[in-house]
Amino acid sequence: MGRPRGFDEEQVVQAAVVLFGRQSFDGTSVDDLVSHLGVHRGSLYKTFGSKRGLYLAALRQHVARDVVAAAEVFAAADDPVTAVHRIVASGPDLGLLFLALVERAPVDAEVAAETSRALALLDDARPGLDEALGLLLRARATRTTNEGE
Amino acid sequence: MAHVRIEGDDLIVDIEGLNKMWALKSRITVPLTHVRGATFDPGIVREPKGLRAPGTHVPGVIVAGTFHADGERVFWDVRDADKAVVIQLDDAEYARLVIEVDDPRAAVDLIEQALVR
Repeated sequence: MGRPRGFDEEQVVQAAVVLFGRQSFDGTSVDDLVSHLGVHRGSLYKTFGSKRGLYLAALRQHVARDVVAAAEVFAAADDPVTAVHRIVASGPDLGLLFLALVERAPVDAEVAAETSRALALLDDARPGLDEALGLLLRARATRTTNEGE
Repeated sequence: MAHVRIEGDDLIVDIEGLNKMWALKSRITVPLTHVRGATFDPGIVREPKGLRAPGTHVPGVIVAGTFHADGERVFWDVRDADKAVVIQLDDAEYARLVIEVDDPRAAVDLIEQALVR
């Protein structure tokens, strides 16, 4: 706490949000983190304790920023479909939340606490969240298919 | 090869077999409050390890002993990189332990679940 890091911790955590959100917790090695985050292995361990420590920090930042931003889009839109289109077109990217829900939340209580908090935020913004999330997942998948064509 | 277990409020790392001689230390006990986390990290064996004293370092084969790098003391006991686990410590004799365990995922889960962040 309060130690000079020699790097911007928030920026590193943000890069981890993108990486974990793209390739999951298990699919991201420490080698991947070191090369993409531009931080030495020693600093990574010193600052976050472990890969899971960094993952938890990334998930918390993701909920505080991206999920809150998505909740705002849901709250402001007339219907869930409009919100889904808006989010798919211009973000926020909820990749980390989706991957965390299927990969880590079932086996990690601290991750589950964060994902529950995230779902509650979305639910507060938009009743009928389950339908909206299903739509969002399908829209994301379709976007990838379209890009690949 | 090392074995990790949690006994009461302590993390206990037992170094087994021949490596006991090379690493010159057979048991490391750290209070859990000084354990920051554990990570499965096969890639760490390719990192520069710093200066060794005492222990054994046959590049590419065996890394065992205490190494000094960037002002940190790091304990190494790894022969098979695919089973390397990094345990980060705080305010302890070593800054981190890099050990080889039989089941890296189980060891990491055991330690991580004993910590509350």
